[in-house]
Amino acid sequence: MKRFLKTCLLLVLMAAMALGLCPGTVVAEDAPIEVSIWYSDNPTLPFMDSWLALNTTAEIAGLDVTVEAIPSTDFATRVSPALNTGMNLPDVILYQNTQGENASLALNGRIVPISDYSEWTPHFNAMVEKLGLQEEVDQLKLQDGKRYFMPQLFDKPFYDGGLIMRQDYLEQKGFDAPKTFDDLYEILKAYKEDYPDSYPLTHLVAPYVTYRMTMPSWGVSFGKSSSSGTGALSYDYEKGEYFTGAISDQAREYLRFIHKLYAEGLLDPEQAAPIDNDTWATKMATGASMATYAYYDQIGGVEHASEIEGFKLQMYPSLEGPAGAHHQPKSKTGKGILFPIETASRPDFEQLVRAIDEMFFSEECSTIWCLGVEGVTYTMDGDTIVYPEEITSSPDGIYKTLQVKYGCGADPLQLVWINEREMTKYDENYAQINKTVAAMEGGNVIQSIPPTPLFDDWTAEDANSLQTPLADSIWIWMDAFVTGAKSLETDWDEYVNEMKALQIDELCALYNEHLPK
Amino acid sequence: MKRRSIGAGNLLFDVFVYLVMFFVLFCCLVPFLYMLAVSFSGRKPLVNGEVFLWPKEFTLDSYKQIFTYPNFFRAYGNTFLYAIAGTAIALVMTSLMAYPLSKKNLWGNRFFTKMVVVTMFFSGGLIPNYLLINTLRLAGTRFAILIPFAINSFNLIILINFFRSIPEEIEEAALIDGLGYFSILWRIVMPLSTAAVATIGLYYAVFFWNDWFNSLLYLRSDQYPVMMILRNIVNGTMVIGTGEGASEKTTIAISIKSAVIITSTVPIVVVYPFLQRFFVKGITIGGVKG
Repeated sequence: MKRFLKTCLLLVLMAAMALGLCPGTVVAEDAPIEVSIWYSDNPTLPFMDSWLALNTTAEIAGLDVTVEAIPSTDFATRVSPALNTGMNLPDVILYQNTQGENASLALNGRIVPISDYSEWTPHFNAMVEKLGLQEEVDQLKLQDGKRYFMPQLFDKPFYDGGLIMRQDYLEQKGFDAPKTFDDLYEILKAYKEDYPDSYPLTHLVAPYVTYRMTMPSWGVSFGKSSSSGTGALSYDYEKGEYFTGAISDQAREYLRFIHKLYAEGLLDPEQAAPIDNDTWATKMATGASMATYAYYDQIGGVEHASEIEGFKLQMYPSLEGPAGAHHQPKSKTGKGILFPIETASRPDFEQLVRAIDEMFFSEECSTIWCLGVEGVTYTMDGDTIVYPEEITSSPDGIYKTLQVKYGCGADPLQLVWINEREMTKYDENYAQINKTVAAMEGGNVIQSIPPTPLFDDWTAEDANSLQTPLADSIWIWMDAFVTGAKSLETDWDEYVNEMKALQIDELCALYNEHLPK
Repeated sequence: MKRRSIGAGNLLFDVFVYLVMFFVLFCCLVPFLYMLAVSFSGRKPLVNGEVFLWPKEFTLDSYKQIFTYPNFFRAYGNTFLYAIAGTAIALVMTSLMAYPLSKKNLWGNRFFTKMVVVTMFFSGGLIPNYLLINTLRLAGTRFAILIPFAINSFNLIILINFFRSIPEEIEEAALIDGLGYFSILWRIVMPLSTAAVATIGLYYAVFFWNDWFNSLLYLRSDQYPVMMILRNIVNGTMVIGTGEGASEKTTIAISIKSAVIITSTVPIVVVYPFLQRFFVKGITIGGVKG
């Protein structure tokens, strides 16, 4: 028996050695690299592992991808304990950045500092250079000077939301398209006179959506959802530093304008968030309101639902205020790819990083993520992109059809966004509005998100403890100023003193002290 | 047969009781009927605020959107599996723990009962639970949902109290007749405890039916229960400003929400009347005799 076992063992060893020397074993090296990915699943375009864009790019990059589609609203909840404990993790997590908790996790060694492996990400580097985004990408470095994720790259930010108004009413009354906030005021006032029961300007979701889209024209951004993320501070783009925006003269002027709208019944008095989306649609569709700050993708639904004769909505470029025509600031980088530190212990880590880099950032693959595969989802007529009838005639529109059926343009997967190329997927009106906005203010209508200060864990904690009471208090005061419960003339000093007592100046100093040099 | 005469006072009281009951019934039914009507109504009447208790421009679009969601029916199957298997495992485990703890002569009875009560006030927390379930290699398997939640302290105490209410003499007689403790539990105590078992069974079934958080943390997406999908659909309809071009189609959030509520509650609503008589009796007995 022993002899038999020995013989078997010898045969197995010989076979293994023979196979090892055989040239055919090279196949193993060419086999796709297995990689597990966590994907933030948006229910408006539910993930399908049969997506053409996913399978084609994975094949090009030589990857065998297993995607775990996690509901987008709970994505952070799923990622957090896994990254904290290092258990039950994938090789790659999509749609991540290093804000908030992830910054701390990165600085404590839980995330691969991908900037240390720059030579393994040639496609990403080339794309950053091509789009001129090196400065923006460098701003994503943390206090230790390292960057921990590969972000989405945008050549130009989209003007996807703004002032939306009843174009049919403007035409009927002979109004030109509004250019300034004074024009807007005149239009709202005329509508109120014609329909005394209406509140011409209404909010989508909450007043802060209106505020964050309009405040930059006064040179500030404060309160809930402010561009600095503090609720208290604004950023001076000329000086390159933060200032106490919430107690500035610009803030006072802005609140005067909003209060005037409120006092004259031009602004929807419903202030408590969240305002139901359907309620908003009903107000617009029934004529209870005629203007709103919202997003372009919502126009179609309301237009088709309204029973008002000739009802037509239009989105208008940013209006000019005392500080010019500006929209809410946006970043040219977005959430992207993150590698948990456990992935770095894979023996094929370098090949994996190189393959992921190719799959998401190479010219070929980034085109597929946007347009799909040539000959299937589009064809080229010279330099013009032409979509097939099946896609152009879809009631969902080109953009949505490409997303849902082929996986093109899914936010966590498409990491390179070229504005001009994207606009071929939208209707002409939207493309034209974006073109107009891009030509205004020297292309600076949409300013960059202010730089994030480089805090360590302790300083971040200090900043947070200053920021939270300030933000809460500012929001209460804003509400009072808008509704007239507090006077902008007689109570302003009391407000400023309260903010100073809550150390708004100290928070501002802390931010400026830690700005990236 | 002689009919019982009803005095004017009694009649008035009966009328009052019926009126109150109809009012309560109305308050409970109207929201449900409203949701039903909304879920079957078209976009135009919804946006224009024309729908109340009867659908207008009847459509199944909202249900179509839910039912055509990838893997929806697999997720529904998963939910049934977790609800049925989870409840069965939980009932067995809870009974096996409740029975010995209901015996006052058991050594350490008070200590173990106190330890159970402690867990009602202090839990391990998210990260320790996450570490535990991963270390036990349950994450990524369906057992991550079925095993760790098999004994709920509250349900356990209900069952302990119910078992204590069963006369000891019955068990003593069984012991004399030669039955062991497992046989006594299975053949005598459990048949006498159907009310309590049905009650906590319903509690467990509702828990496993509704639970999404543990599935999110521990399961793979092909193992998700339907609640994960429904929750995602509801939240997704509230997402604003994705930067998409205007399209002719739009989703009315309230219609989707209503369809989701109907879809997720109907199975439990269907089961509830069959268990209700046990449910009320079980709660009363468990509470009073405790």
